Amino acid sequence: MKYITTLLITICVSVYGQDYSDLLKKIESSKPGDSQFLLRGYAHSGYEKRGEESSFVGGSFNPIFLWRQSDKLLFEAELELELEHGETALALEYANMAYELRDNLTVRVGMFLLPFGTFSERLHPRWINRLPSSPLGFGHDPIGPMRDMGIELRGNTKLGSRSLSYSLYSTNGPSLNDGEDHDLSEDEAGMLNYLNFEDNNSNKAIGGRLGIFPLASPALELGFSGQIAEVGNHETEYENTAANLYALDMSYVNNIIFLKGVVDLKGQLNQINVDDESYFSDEDSSSYSFLNQSQASYLQASFRPAYVRNSFVKNLEIVGRYSQIETPEGALWESNQSQYVVGLNYWLDWRTVLKIAYQVNESSAAGGHVEEDEHGDEGGDNAILIHWAFGF
Amino acid sequence: MIKSIKTTLGLATIIILSTMFITACSSQNPPLEKSGAQLWGENCVRCHNAPSPSAFSDNQWETVAMHMKIRANLNSSETAEIVEFLQMAN
Ligand code: HEC
Repeated sequence: MKYITTLLITICVSVYGQDYSDLLKKIESSKPGDSQFLLRGYAHSGYEKRGEESSFVGGSFNPIFLWRQSDKLLFEAELELELEHGETALALEYANMAYELRDNLTVRVGMFLLPFGTFSERLHPRWINRLPSSPLGFGHDPIGPMRDMGIELRGNTKLGSRSLSYSLYSTNGPSLNDGEDHDLSEDEAGMLNYLNFEDNNSNKAIGGRLGIFPLASPALELGFSGQIAEVGNHETEYENTAANLYALDMSYVNNIIFLKGVVDLKGQLNQINVDDESYFSDEDSSSYSFLNQSQASYLQASFRPAYVRNSFVKNLEIVGRYSQIETPEGALWESNQSQYVVGLNYWLDWRTVLKIAYQVNESSAAGGHVEEDEHGDEGGDNAILIHWAFGF
Repeated sequence: MIKSIKTTLGLATIIILSTMFITACSSQNPPLEKSGAQLWGENCVRCHNAPSPSAFSDNQWETVAMHMKIRANLNSSETAEIVEFLQMAN
């Protein structure tokens, strides 16, 4: 693992030494006025009725800062400002520097959205997500990593007229809740914590994604992601506990002429396997263990009759999504839920949308890990969600 | 089990790294047959609705395109074609 991390860094530093010294020269010689700065971002708000309860929600916004220092060097950062339990919360979503090593190869360093599947990196922003909610297991307390701190190489290559995209990264990786850390809930022993920004051990996670475009046009993409890491805290009996994470994703977006519109299919499956360990329960002073495997997946389809003449109808879009989450049987956070959502959107322009959706939840074993809405309320009830999202 | 997964992942990493080496060090990509407009139409709709060329100024397109090039794993020649089209049509 260490070997691969060192290899990644060595590739960037030594093999591309020429570019690296170019980079240093550029950084030294660049004046603040040389960079092109762009402030963008997105915002959302809405109304939600869950079971008997209803509330106006959101009012959050995410500024995105882009500094283009040269045609090879870009810095990107995103903040999230939202109200959480009545207080304004400010979070750093990502902050990283990207440098183009070759025409088709870029290195990124810092905190970035992880190419583990596509939801986190490409689809979660409110103006991109076609529904007002995230799929089960892809929102708060996700099953799978969404962002992390580290180094990444990414690029693409052509195989004839087909292309292949790849990303390979080394990051701090997730940490295991072993039930003994008083800052974390003992009931969630065995769960992975993905916000491990100061690494809990010296082991680094290694991961990557391979995206395949099997057709001559990039309409269809199939993605395979994996990540492996030791996740236990340093100098504990869990030190060598490892986690293997896999994801499959697909995306198909195409104009369907006879339907006069655009069909968009998206899906992802995350599978998390953590080595089996025994955890201690304070409640009955005994140890317990379980097969520590979790899974979350979703499939979404949408259709927008973008090529009909009627200017109202062409901005409408219908969406349907199924998602499910399954956490380990025998864990105190055991759960097994599924969710169906249907929605109707109206696009005011390419990045401003009004979304109305009806969400049905089904749960067959709800333990600690009940999917929560954005305010941390349990989302067990069926819901009507009306959101407005705006990219700028 | 973990050992064999580690070996598989190690092997996969080596394969990906060698692919990167070969492609990064090989000569330029074959000449592009697709126009900037076509590349824009095919690529910029994959994750979100495609912005129209008039949405940004020439300078802004350069920054946005660089952002998207990285996010969408596009290569520089494709991105340059798209930017040229957007700057011409805005
Ligand atoms: C792989 C998915 C993907 C593809 C393909 C893609 N985008 Fe994006 N785009 C995104 C994401 C994700 C964001 C939001 C960035 C964020 O919130 O971090 C975004 C944001 C934007 C923005 C808002 C400003 C900004 O830079 O954040 C513009 C404009 C944009 N994209 C234009 C384009 C154009 C033009 C293309 C075609 C070259 C394109 N996009 C292709 C995923 C994609």
